[in-house]
Amino acid sequence: MLKSVIEWTWVLCIFGVAALIGNWFGMDVLPWEAIPGMLVLIAVSLVGLMLEKALPFSMPAVGYIGILAIIISLPWFPGSDYVVAWTSQIGILALATPILAYAGISVGSNWADFRKLGFRSFLVAITVFLGTFIGSALIAEVILRWQGII
Amino acid sequence: MEKVELKTVIKDWRLHAIAFILVAITEAIGQFSIAVGPGVILLLPMLYAFFLGLGLYFTPLISEKNAKNAEPLIILGVTLLIAKIGVTIGPQIEAIIAAGPALLLQELGNLGTIFLALPLAVLLGFRRESIGMTHSIAREPNVGLIVNKFGFSSPEGRGVMAVYIFGTVFGAVFLGLISGLLATATPLHPLSFAMASGVGSGSMMAAASGSLIGAYPELEEQIVAFAGASNLLSLSTGLYFSIFIGLPLTEKLYSIMMRRSERKTAKGGGPNA
Repeated sequence: MLKSVIEWTWVLCIFGVAALIGNWFGMDVLPWEAIPGMLVLIAVSLVGLMLEKALPFSMPAVGYIGILAIIISLPWFPGSDYVVAWTSQIGILALATPILAYAGISVGSNWADFRKLGFRSFLVAITVFLGTFIGSALIAEVILRWQGII
Repeated sequence: MEKVELKTVIKDWRLHAIAFILVAITEAIGQFSIAVGPGVILLLPMLYAFFLGLGLYFTPLISEKNAKNAEPLIILGVTLLIAKIGVTIGPQIEAIIAAGPALLLQELGNLGTIFLALPLAVLLGFRRESIGMTHSIAREPNVGLIVNKFGFSSPEGRGVMAVYIFGTVFGAVFLGLISGLLATATPLHPLSFAMASGVGSGSMMAAASGSLIGAYPELEEQIVAFAGASNLLSLSTGLYFSIFIGLPLTEKLYSIMMRRSERKTAKGGGPNA
């Protein structure tokens, strides 16, 4: 467990550096201003990863991480003002760019599999994605309008 | 995640240096928008980063080993993304609860794929593959369900893998492109698309909601909160939704379509697929 925690910390920190670089170049937030927020996010992720290993439930780590992050940022949670202020220095896109950079590099090794699929599968898959996305948006639109939220 | 040793991943400095440079260059370029009819296609740094990364795989700079080592970075990077989404949801908890009914019901939007994509798959000549392909958007839990029920090398298994691979390779990029375009070209509200962005994959949600933020920066907090809440909901309920509604409905619809085409074939000796 301890070995895993140390390795996770390293990987999260490497990723954190990539995100801080993106945040700096893309959103003009100086890295040292974003460090406290990044440390909070890394700590939350680490606790979530540990909970996944330690607890007997079959919930993936992201489940614990999401809930934990929501709780510590609720208005009535002690210190949540700091959590929100620090993490607001990190743009969501600054985290998305390194994910997709690494994803692009990693996808290369699946390229052979992908080419085997054929054009027909490609068409169906596009329709699957479009169908889900538009279907969900339509339902959300109807309900949100009906409730008067938008 | 345990497939590759994390220690070797951490020490893969060539990979990290390349990723840092990719991020710096693409973020420095910034975003562009291309007008398409009434809508806008947003080109975001994350899209350049994806395609530059993919391109580098075919150069000597990135080896097969580097590509394999990139995987844990994606998985752990997504945990940071989820943490960031969580701390954006917390302060907005009242708005989320108010939007609860819409959040819950838009999960039914997944059925859109069955009614839209299943007929197309059957029309294109797929048989039982089409059940695996179109019962859901084929994320990990859905692949698990199909493989569990029909086996990996069954037609259904091949079908679900085809969409899974498409999603893994192009899902984020595709949703990133169409979400910005649809939100600017259609009369639907960006917050409806924000909810639709939560399809149950962190990177797809980030890409889809990222484009929305690019187009509507003033709604950033709300877009992230709604997309994130919807994504958490999809992650936690998506599997059960497939088990009890998506898959049975797909199978039912498939057998109805097959019966009709068999009748036609019996009458007129239709094409042999």
